[in-house]
Amino acid sequence: MDDCLLWSQLKAGDEEAFSLLFEKYYGLLVNYGKTLNTESEIVKDCIQDVFVDIWNYRNTLNEARVVKAYLLSSVRKRIVRLHERNHIFSNTINIDSIDFLYEYSIEDRLIADETMVKSVKKINQLINSLPARQSEALYLRYHQGLTVDQVSEVLNINYQSTKNLLHRAILQLRKEFPLTVLITILSVLSTV
Amino acid sequence: MQKRNSYKKLEDFLFDPSFQRWVKFEDDSAQWEEWTLENIERAKLVEEARLWILAMNVKEIPVSNKETQLALQKTWEKIKLSNEKTLKNTSRYIWIRTAAAVLIFAIASFAYFTLDDSTLLKNTITYQDLVENESNGLIEQVNNTDNPQLITLSDASSILLQPKSKISYPKTFNGRERKVFLSGEGFFEISKDLNKPFYVYSNEVITKVYGTSFRIIAYPKQPNVDVLVRTGKVKVSSNRDSKNASAKEVFLLQNQAARFVRKEQFFEKILDITQDKSLFASTNTIEKLSFEFKDIPVHQIFKTLEQAYLVTIDFPAGKLEDCYLTTSLSDMPLPEKLKIICESLGYNTRYEMNGNNIIIISNGCD
Repeated sequence: MDDCLLWSQLKAGDEEAFSLLFEKYYGLLVNYGKTLNTESEIVKDCIQDVFVDIWNYRNTLNEARVVKAYLLSSVRKRIVRLHERNHIFSNTINIDSIDFLYEYSIEDRLIADETMVKSVKKINQLINSLPARQSEALYLRYHQGLTVDQVSEVLNINYQSTKNLLHRAILQLRKEFPLTVLITILSVLSTV
Repeated sequence: MQKRNSYKKLEDFLFDPSFQRWVKFEDDSAQWEEWTLENIERAKLVEEARLWILAMNVKEIPVSNKETQLALQKTWEKIKLSNEKTLKNTSRYIWIRTAAAVLIFAIASFAYFTLDDSTLLKNTITYQDLVENESNGLIEQVNNTDNPQLITLSDASSILLQPKSKISYPKTFNGRERKVFLSGEGFFEISKDLNKPFYVYSNEVITKVYGTSFRIIAYPKQPNVDVLVRTGKVKVSSNRDSKNASAKEVFLLQNQAARFVRKEQFFEKILDITQDKSLFASTNTIEKLSFEFKDIPVHQIFKTLEQAYLVTIDFPAGKLEDCYLTTSLSDMPLPEKLKIICESLGYNTRYEMNGNNIIIISNGCD
């Protein structure tokens, strides 16, 4: 069923709609949360708390929402807040930010020849060495399929910064990579 | 599908879910392939985008239906619990809230008036933080004496460490940079190596040089970090993301200084140290001595070095009695100064260094 419809039913106090949304997004949110905090029990708690708030404050929720972006953003905020609270009393350097911890892997079942393996490995390495924020923007835009606007909502930064973040990530990688790409392309084209 | 005809950038492909599905699951394979081959520029981009998609696979760990149901149940329980709490809160426990509010206000105002350097604490980076974050093994030297202490590093750089200061550094500098950590105050003379920049981490400030001399004053409890440049070029930057870009880094030349104000997290640049009384006062003997020697007896040069570095130099006074040197020894660490003196005296002169004690072995000058 359509997210928007479920959302407005939830706002009207429909428990069924609430449960459906929960079931639809719980797995996805757990996976996303684990990129920010490795302890899955904490992540699960945070997600449940987000839903508790959604239900308790359903009257004050916005009507028109992209539900997925809203949920991702709420879970992120919750984990950040928890992280901050845990670090206020200990003497850590980064108190205001959390790091995206995810490492992209290689889809090796689809790679046939060796030059390609090399290129893919190299790109993978470069992607995984991106700054955490760029990497997270890429994850949200690419993997979660959010629009730039929605990515900026989740990361809580403005539209232009998000655009720059994504642009920079890709620009930087391409700058470091052009030679190998060229070789692969040539070899691929010659086989076509 | 129509919009793909306007695709011109790698991003256009990467972020198109139907393109992703084609690469990963061969969805709509035939018509994507045909479309790709229409245009060679397009084929190149498609090929690149394909590599990217293969390189940024995300492995999701599926959450079972049972687990989801369990979590949903838990969530409903939490909702119930929170509603019961709010009910109680709004009726019987109002007086507790009031009391709590008063108490919090009292504590806050107490904190405001007594702990005025708590903001300093929040933003600071300590020597301890820095050293703990460094994975390579470090040697630590602490100066508990009342006099400056000479420290030489594996790259022949030398540091005069002031009392109540400490420094951590690796036994040898492997890799592409030289990195040391300072708490307190030190005068650095760094041997030149353009391929291996030298970094000093001190509180929130990073000082980067290739080979120069400068003083850093970075005591843990003081409100500022000062970097004073004696010779050469130095880049000083803040060790955290600052919103204010102009406050992030400062370039310094000879006789310039930067002061990092820790509470507000910004740099102040001082263009001429000699004009700034308080800063000039914090320079030491070593910065005020001249190492430009013109036809000077070598024992006098040794005396200057002893004064500057607070070391003792033993040398065969008789054999070197009539040796005079003209040489320029500014802007180089002590080991290099000694090396140049020995080389100038002749091939049969060399030096040995044991901590603060230096022995010159010589048969006289040529």
